[in-house]
Amino acid sequence: MLEMVSAFVAGFYKVLTPTTFSLMLIGIGVGFMVGILPGLGGPTTLALMLPFIFKMNAVEAFAFLLGMSAVTATTGDITSILFGVPGEPTTASTIVDGHPMAKKGEAGRALGAALMSSLVGAIFGAFCLALAVPVVRPLVLTFGSPEFFMIALLGVGFVASLSGGNLLKGLISGGLGFCFAMVGLDPISGIQRYTFGQLFLWDGIGLVPVTVGLFAIPEIIDLAVQGGSIAKEKVGKIGGVMTGVKDTFKHWWMVIRCSAIGAYIGVIPGMGGGVSQWIAYAHAVQSSPDKERFGKGAVEGVLGPGAANNSTLGGSLIPTVAFGVPGSVSTAILLGAFIIQGIVPGPDMLLPPPKGKLDITFSFVWIIVLSNLLTVAICFLFLNWLAKITNIRGSLLMPFILLLVYVGTFAEKNAFADLLIVLGFGLLGWLMVRFDWQRPPLLLGLVLGPLMENRLFLATDNYGIAWLWRPGVIILFLLTLIGIFYPVFKTRRGRQAESGRIQPGAGAEKEQTMPRRAALFSFALVAVLSWALWESRNFGFRAGLFPWVIGTPVLLLSIVQFARDILGKTKRTGLESTMDQELPKEIARRRTAAIVGWIVAFFLAIWLLGFSLAAPVMTLLYLRVAGRESWPSTIASTVLAGALVYGFFERALHIPFPEGEIFLWLQ
Amino acid sequence: MREKKLWLVAALLALTVAGSAWAQESFYKGKTIRIIVGFSAGGGFDTYARAIARHMSKHVPGNPTILVENMTGAGSLIAANHVFKVARPDGLTMGHFIGGLFMQQLYGRPGVEFDARKFEYVGTPVTDKPVCALTKASGITSVEKWMASPTPVKLGGTAPGSNTDDVPKILRSALGLPIQLVSGYKGTADIRLAAESGELAGGCWGWDSIRATWRKGIESGEAVVVLQAVPKALPDLPKVPLAIDLAKSDEGRQLIQVGIHSVSAVIRPYVLPPGTPKDRVQTLRTAFANTMKDREFLADAEKSNLDIEPMSGEELEKTVTGLFKLNPALVAKLKEAVEAK
Repeated sequence: MLEMVSAFVAGFYKVLTPTTFSLMLIGIGVGFMVGILPGLGGPTTLALMLPFIFKMNAVEAFAFLLGMSAVTATTGDITSILFGVPGEPTTASTIVDGHPMAKKGEAGRALGAALMSSLVGAIFGAFCLALAVPVVRPLVLTFGSPEFFMIALLGVGFVASLSGGNLLKGLISGGLGFCFAMVGLDPISGIQRYTFGQLFLWDGIGLVPVTVGLFAIPEIIDLAVQGGSIAKEKVGKIGGVMTGVKDTFKHWWMVIRCSAIGAYIGVIPGMGGGVSQWIAYAHAVQSSPDKERFGKGAVEGVLGPGAANNSTLGGSLIPTVAFGVPGSVSTAILLGAFIIQGIVPGPDMLLPPPKGKLDITFSFVWIIVLSNLLTVAICFLFLNWLAKITNIRGSLLMPFILLLVYVGTFAEKNAFADLLIVLGFGLLGWLMVRFDWQRPPLLLGLVLGPLMENRLFLATDNYGIAWLWRPGVIILFLLTLIGIFYPVFKTRRGRQAESGRIQPGAGAEKEQTMPRRAALFSFALVAVLSWALWESRNFGFRAGLFPWVIGTPVLLLSIVQFARDILGKTKRTGLESTMDQELPKEIARRRTAAIVGWIVAFFLAIWLLGFSLAAPVMTLLYLRVAGRESWPSTIASTVLAGALVYGFFERALHIPFPEGEIFLWLQ
Repeated sequence: MREKKLWLVAALLALTVAGSAWAQESFYKGKTIRIIVGFSAGGGFDTYARAIARHMSKHVPGNPTILVENMTGAGSLIAANHVFKVARPDGLTMGHFIGGLFMQQLYGRPGVEFDARKFEYVGTPVTDKPVCALTKASGITSVEKWMASPTPVKLGGTAPGSNTDDVPKILRSALGLPIQLVSGYKGTADIRLAAESGELAGGCWGWDSIRATWRKGIESGEAVVVLQAVPKALPDLPKVPLAIDLAKSDEGRQLIQVGIHSVSAVIRPYVLPPGTPKDRVQTLRTAFANTMKDREFLADAEKSNLDIEPMSGEELEKTVTGLFKLNPALVAKLKEAVEAK
């Protein structure tokens, strides 16, 4: 015990040497930028920085790399809140309530809440890492593929809580996510599913383009249609950063529970921030007495994911350190760094020196804690300034947001085809918002789908049917049932208590805005799902089982939804922000058409001219034609856009932008 | 008279060589060579490419900048197709993808849009050395016990077409070893974890990787290397039997030789697009070979645990084109072996 404490202290001093500390600062600086820029994710940057660690010692190297990856989830929240564009794929859930807060003029409060909860989450995750050390090996070794499958199933159970009161639509949305997850080579027999012979679909649809498309594009359209700035109300006193900080402490136990969710999910290989953020969000909704506020700027919706996506890092380091099995993409790359540093992950990492390297493991804990403290401190200096971005005219911001969307999406995998996926899911996301469908279940399905299919087959191949009787499986199954039915039970009790005051579904009939078009959308879903199911007849048993098992019920559910839409029986949930309020229909329609045109035009220009030339050209065109900005501000923005894309992304970061098609034709 | 002529020839030759070196220098000076890697940043292919990129520049006349670009997707097939079809054959784009794709072409799989016989080959830094490691807990601690096992031994695989899957399948077909391949693990680390938790008996993949990441298990005897699928016993595994020696028939030997040994030799090729000018191909081949001997490069490689055992461009080309001269019956047999469940 004493040895452990002394290793803990030794770990702290290891971090505090001048070189280590300054390397950590550099790492934080890089991570800061990377987190803010969408698409350009932590993992990519982490990999690019690997060569620099050759000359460092172990603690220095990890101070640099961990410092960098520790802050990306925090700064990613900033982009999500301010622009509605996910700064990292792991911060998409912050948009759902964070961005509406920014629109209400509460950007400062949202940022304060995100930063403070991130700090709490990070520290919690780091201490989980420290505390897990003695128990982790036996615990993880009792987990086999069947248990991993059940954990994924447990995650799916949260779809109900993300459905915003409309369970049917939520289930269909989650099922759609599963269906999208089936695109690509199936993981077991290597058969192509729904790839249309396109190579870029072989690896499936990426999380980044889907997230950016689903969330950013509808926000962009909304911003353009509404006009004005992102914040619709003046940033007043209520927008104060300190309010957000206080909110964290007001909801202290929820923040801690969400941190725990993040840390535990991080431990499970294959799951990471992509899952934990949504489960934490679902938990925040679940544990709130007033669910109606969510999606419209409830501060709990920022606090929960903010804490969880940060605590995930500490959690995902646990299997990396103890087994050399990375819990996430970032930790997989950190594992590469372990090897460069001559460190073999495994039991040694958990033994106090001189026998083992526990002091190094504990230094990771300190690096996570210190780098998050520093980031939050730095952020607070700029926060009020950042919050003011939401007061800038939307038309002036628009070219930059669009460029970030496209550049960020491309930079994740250097794949141009991902831009098309953004456009496709942008359309889907926009329709979903219009017809009041929830997007989070879709993302959860997309992330959990491959994991479930994979682990289901591994479990069956390894144990036959007998895996169903493993004790871990039964316990997790019971937990899933509780997870699904507890909220239903609670709502019912709540409703009974309230039934005297509010007539359930009273507001429903009014909202019959577009019954026919809503029915058209659900009919399109029915058509696509039927086609997908029909197509899967040739897949064979192994590749086809999942499409059949998931596709059939989702198809049936969507037929039910279609019937309800025709009969006009669906009530609005209000969880998703409603658009076009208080605008004459004609203006809204014209503005929508215009911005959609611009979104497509930016894409075409990038395709024809290449990124670096399209950036200034389109910025100039947009600001003069659509924005009607003055020449000085137009030229300044154009130069800035060109410098950002060419100077920063192409020259400094060496992102391999493809040449414009025109130049290929000219050759 | 005769002597004079010889001198003249020698002088001319010297001039041409010097001239072409000068021409190359003027060509590569201030230019950028891009290595297109078919896998994501931070993985094994990427790590090799980045280490080579750091040191190769000083061996190319004119010292061009060398950058690594990741073009991921379809198990590096996208990158291979790109280098074949799209990349300009100007000696400034080099491709690095998995050599198993050559077999995919041979098997006539969909999606292959290149012809391996037309690439220009620069070289490869290392030969893969697949071995099978099983846990002591599985009870299979020798190849004899394996052969005698009444139930198929569970080995973990990642995906069809990778060596974790193809090596056990070919061994099963060539040696009749009882093997149940459970495929779909995310990576070799997950296979190792599943083996440690008792879900699997083990798996077959590169010795370098096993030695680095499963060191504790191997040292303590918790994990045992029972079979090596390499042409010659590895220096640190002198007593482990060779798969090829266990084959009872000629056909079995050929399956192992082509399906495992040849594929392992070409698994990490560096290639240029077809039609790259021959002098530039030669320049890069020489530069690659010299990089492999570069002391600083070797020190870097050792630190990142990258094994270096290079093969020249000429040899690589010979091995790859050799694959396309195989007896069709053998190819059919191989295809059958790797496509079996």
